[in-house]
Amino acid sequence: MVIRALLKPNTYYDSITLMSVAQAAKDLPGVEDIGAVMATEVNLELLLNATLMPIAFLAEQQAPPGSEDLLIVVRAIDEAHAQAALAVAEERLTSRGDRGNLSTGEMLPARSLEMALKRDEAANLAVISVTGEHAGLEAEQALRNGMHVFLFSDNVPVEQEKRLKALAISKGLLLMGPDCGTAIINGIGLGFSNVVSRGSIGIVGASGTGMQQLICLIAAAGMGISQAIGTGGRDLSEAIGGVMMRRGLELLAGDEQTEVIILVSKPPAERVAREILAAAQIMKPVVVVFLGADPERFASVAGNAHMARTLTGGAELAVSLAGGDRRRIPGKDALYKYDLPKERAKLASSQRYIRALYSGGTLCDEAMLLLSERLGPIASNIPLRPEWTLAVGETFRGHTALDLGSDEFTRGRPHPMIDPTISLQYLASAADDPQTAVILLDIVLGFCAQQNPASVYSPAIIQAREKAKVAGRSLPVIISLCGTEGDPQRLSMQRTALEAAGAMVYESNEMAARAAALLVSDSIHQA
Amino acid sequence: MAVSLIVVDYSRPTHPIFLQEPRIGNVHSIFNKATNITLDGTMLALLSDELPRMPNSVRLRSDVTYKLLPNLKPGMEVCVGNYSLVIPTCNFSLQLSDTPLWEPRPDVNSYQWNRETVAQHTRMLTQFLANKQPQGGLTPLVGPLFLDQSLQETPLSRMAMPNLRLLAQASWWQNLEGIEEATRGLAGLGPGLTPSGDDVLGGFAAIMALLSTQLSADSIPRKHIASKIASVAKPRTTKLSGLLLEFASRGEVSEQLGTLLLTLMLPAEEFETVLKAADHVLAFGASSGGDTLLGILLGLRALEGKID
Repeated sequence: MVIRALLKPNTYYDSITLMSVAQAAKDLPGVEDIGAVMATEVNLELLLNATLMPIAFLAEQQAPPGSEDLLIVVRAIDEAHAQAALAVAEERLTSRGDRGNLSTGEMLPARSLEMALKRDEAANLAVISVTGEHAGLEAEQALRNGMHVFLFSDNVPVEQEKRLKALAISKGLLLMGPDCGTAIINGIGLGFSNVVSRGSIGIVGASGTGMQQLICLIAAAGMGISQAIGTGGRDLSEAIGGVMMRRGLELLAGDEQTEVIILVSKPPAERVAREILAAAQIMKPVVVVFLGADPERFASVAGNAHMARTLTGGAELAVSLAGGDRRRIPGKDALYKYDLPKERAKLASSQRYIRALYSGGTLCDEAMLLLSERLGPIASNIPLRPEWTLAVGETFRGHTALDLGSDEFTRGRPHPMIDPTISLQYLASAADDPQTAVILLDIVLGFCAQQNPASVYSPAIIQAREKAKVAGRSLPVIISLCGTEGDPQRLSMQRTALEAAGAMVYESNEMAARAAALLVSDSIHQA
Repeated sequence: MAVSLIVVDYSRPTHPIFLQEPRIGNVHSIFNKATNITLDGTMLALLSDELPRMPNSVRLRSDVTYKLLPNLKPGMEVCVGNYSLVIPTCNFSLQLSDTPLWEPRPDVNSYQWNRETVAQHTRMLTQFLANKQPQGGLTPLVGPLFLDQSLQETPLSRMAMPNLRLLAQASWWQNLEGIEEATRGLAGLGPGLTPSGDDVLGGFAAIMALLSTQLSADSIPRKHIASKIASVAKPRTTKLSGLLLEFASRGEVSEQLGTLLLTLMLPAEEFETVLKAADHVLAFGASSGGDTLLGILLGLRALEGKID
């Protein structure tokens, strides 16, 4: 074990920067612990108590460090790993824009749209991620400069969204958002996106993880995506009227590369759904996935459009229509790839409930829809019905599905797709509860997502299952793994590592939810 | 060519600095949307108007901030006084005449305070903070401190826990030696430019300075405790943290914190409003918001005289 340190006199970073830098270095192999603190007297004592005191290093300093100096200390298994961690920490610090002493001549990130346009006048798409209060102004400025907009920001008032979308339409532009998490434009992923080859299926979606699930299942069938246009989650509301979904549909209808179009959304307003379906009566096949909406309700207006109830169903239809082999999608045939009856038989009588922990809101919605059909009420922070809302102070109540990516969980901390800390906490809580029969959780891969989720989830799953075993329980863990082989995390590597930890891994969220339901349906029956 | 701009607003405690004849200060630190300037032992914060007001803030339009910040470097000279702030190297000048002043001391005296209602809010806020399952800083200690939950032992929690208890108990008994000892153990403790221990002390001091007269169960004001905390902490922590503690000891707090404190006088059934205000406090920094809220809760409990 070695302890090495880095001292940066009169250096100031905000705490979010320091935490993310420390976490990045701590995730490296061979690193046991890291501290990044201002060198106050009590923090030196804290380092001492944490076995992080760099005694030799401090002795070498001409003057002792003080409270205005940043001290980064690493404890690692050997010199090489310690130095590597310090190098990563320093590199992370210097590569960020949120510090003052940038060296002369360093290319600063563009701080305004104006500055970005000066650097590249040919740019025709702006990605905007500022606080909601200011996002509208930035988006308007971009649109007025003739640029399409990918608006990642949320908390943009609905009236403003309506006005901006009208402006975009009047200029023949796209306004993807607000609160748009995912898009793939001309092969370039924006926001949370997966690596997929270009192909003949186009998507317009009012749901980020819904689009990601479709993209990944289509990739599993060996097919590709022409364009994936996000619209923002409110686009199909009564107030907005689906203007951007119609615009996206129009664009894909005229796009030579696109042969099949998928439209995906959480439950739309009835009138808007009908208008979208009317607009979908085009020459190209259109698959419609309106989650939570009964396809029968729209049978009379669906016309040529192919209605699907689930994301997996939508992907299968689209792949077939595009001339691919739908059987390559890991759908129903994959449901029993694990011995579910055996897992079910191992449950104790007290284990009655599913505890679903999601980072993707749409995936959570889809799971709740499928589970509630079989199991009745599903308590949640984003409930399907108001009476299924979890009360303040309640972590779980019966069958429970949590969207851990929603505002109340992400305030002041990164989204669980980026930092799974909150998911791991709830995983531990669910595992400790003797009523938990099965834990269902999603892991979303791709750009912006955590670099190696299996490296954090696998130990947590092993620990949870071991703990349950000591308490005399078996604890099945089912993972809905959304990703592609081309993703930086590599789907197969993640799957293998998670399965090695004892998890049952499904690439279809629908199948993951169905498997979970199968496990508890019978345990309730036995009880 | 000099760019001369009008600021959006500035905090009342910074006003005397701008009244004086011009003096030279320096750029201290620079962030994405803010820069700190040291001057005569104090520190001004130039903020984008996307950020909430602070007791030492001067806020600029966000587009101005984004143009200014990339050109700043630590140590650059800044001239402040005569209602203006000039950064000669950047040809940058700010004018403050006719700019509205913002008052960072919430007007607690204009409201009726009911101890029982505040106690109910305190309990709900405690549960609310614990339900967040906070990570980082000292916020995870909310459960062990107030809800009899088990303590997850870390070097940080081991150092902080006894001092947090001592701070509350000593404040109730007005034991200044105990307050000094607890403050010495917490000042400058933990991660962050404003270390976690200071954020807790800031929240605690703000309660003592602003609400001890209205809320202490024995009706004894405890404003002097806030001053004691600031004076003991200042030499033991960062300049910025020491300064913010001084403000807190005078009841001068950030915009979100001031709003939260005022919501505590609302009737119990309006807890949702309190919760929303608490959410805004929590959104501040990585763990600063949670740590400050922990300090608020500790202060409120101390005034009830119910800390074990």
